[in-house]
Amino acid sequence: MPKNTLKYTMLLVLLAVVAYNSVYFKRLDEVKASAGPNAGQPFDAASYASAFWTNKLLPATAKATEFDALLSLLKTDKEKAFNTHSHALGIGNIRYFLVKGTGNVTAVGDNDITILLPSGESVKLATEYIFGNAVRDASGLIQITEFDNTMDLNNVSAELNTIIRNKVVPPLKANAKPGATINFVGAIELNKAHLHLETIEVIPISVEVIR
Amino acid sequence: MTKKLNYMNNLLTYSRLFVLLLLLLLAGSCTSKTDANGPKKVAVIVSTLNNPWFVVLAETAAAEAKALGYETKIFDSQNNTALESDHFENAIVSGFNAILLNPTDSDGSIVNARKAIEAGIPVFCMDREVNSPRAATCQILSDNYSGCVAIGKYFVQTLRAKASNTPINYVEILGLVGDNNTWNRSKGFHSVVDQYRNFKMVAQQSADFDRNKAMEVLESILQAHPDINAVFCGNDAMAMGAYQALVAAGKANDVGVFGFDGADDVMNSIRDGKIKATGLQSPQTMAKTAAQFADAYFKGKRDFAKKIPVAVELIDQGNIKDYPATKKS
Repeated sequence: MPKNTLKYTMLLVLLAVVAYNSVYFKRLDEVKASAGPNAGQPFDAASYASAFWTNKLLPATAKATEFDALLSLLKTDKEKAFNTHSHALGIGNIRYFLVKGTGNVTAVGDNDITILLPSGESVKLATEYIFGNAVRDASGLIQITEFDNTMDLNNVSAELNTIIRNKVVPPLKANAKPGATINFVGAIELNKAHLHLETIEVIPISVEVIR
Repeated sequence: MTKKLNYMNNLLTYSRLFVLLLLLLLAGSCTSKTDANGPKKVAVIVSTLNNPWFVVLAETAAAEAKALGYETKIFDSQNNTALESDHFENAIVSGFNAILLNPTDSDGSIVNARKAIEAGIPVFCMDREVNSPRAATCQILSDNYSGCVAIGKYFVQTLRAKASNTPINYVEILGLVGDNNTWNRSKGFHSVVDQYRNFKMVAQQSADFDRNKAMEVLESILQAHPDINAVFCGNDAMAMGAYQALVAAGKANDVGVFGFDGADDVMNSIRDGKIKATGLQSPQTMAKTAAQFADAYFKGKRDFAKKIPVAVELIDQGNIKDYPATKKS
């Protein structure tokens, strides 16, 4: 009898082990939360962009690359210019730079303001088409590993561009007249494989118009 | 003597039970076999090899992995998640050490990818995503949204320049409605165009990424809306179909067509001034990156971003000369 008991106990243990390893119980909402497209907490792109703008991007404008110097380096040593000064969250030929400069307004158009730099080069500050990832990526202060969802990244770009459309562009358009001097910090997008320096457009981040 | 024999029999029975128990316990942890002496093995599981775009993706991934010193094999899922599931099981049992995956279905492939992850095999998605950040080690994806933001900007710039602030009527032809890429492209495009009130979308219809369907869809739309200014298509095949419909209707010179992919025939059509613009994807970049990430994983890297966008380049009338011409088919 004790031998049978031992045998049945062993069988019961065996069955218990098999049963324990075969069946899992999880709350349905936990499974949905971990496997769904919106896994985890909902991401608030507007709040993230606002905090990034105030706490990281505006302080980083002090470290922006001088536009004239960058332009000169891009002409003489493209690889060094991209390796030293460009950033991008993604992979590929599209890279972004945080730049600054001072110049005189030579033209005010519907879509941009043209500025003549001390080097004799001209640059356009965009006032109409504020789109893309230049402002999000140029500083290199956002890490791709912070995000599980690329749509969150897209929304950060859209919110940063909205901040510029609402806060930076209106005073720029109101005050920039031909002849005025402007200090600017902004973001630019360049294609590393197909570089065109004659069509650079700066998305303004910080602008000071000196009358 | 009989008592001793009984005791021995019982001991043998218990020993068998213990061995069985141990085997069951070990079964959970032994999911794949690996050859410690040979090179590591990398499986490339691709949604279909019927489409040249995916052939380039798969072959580039396999070639890069081979160049990095790994044994490689390409598995064709033939757009069938059940077949993809079989490939995963084969890859796991055959001791593959990493899987480079072009998923068949954003939702349907989750369970397949998770099987490998749970077996300790890293999975790197290429081009198409799976709708779960935990179903893959890293997903390397075309930045469809940002590519279409660039197309949307060019779309507005060219059409506004032509007609100032007068009303612009346009048609959007979508890809497969169940595909994430369809909506990421559409959302990117609309994030720009919807900011301009004079741009009115008079029709939005799916043509399943298919050239002939796109032609039929646009022919039908043109009956109801003969006065459109532009057509935005979710891929290049549909852009070519839309252009054919416009040629047949005698409107090819009046209506701008915009695509997405960077397919050879559309690149040549941009060069000829027939199609306005497209977004150039790079399957080679995605495939090479996936193989390089597998290599990095073998060497100990674990902090991969869940999703990495690969830049899509706007190709338009202004910069098409930067991209070398391909042979016309």
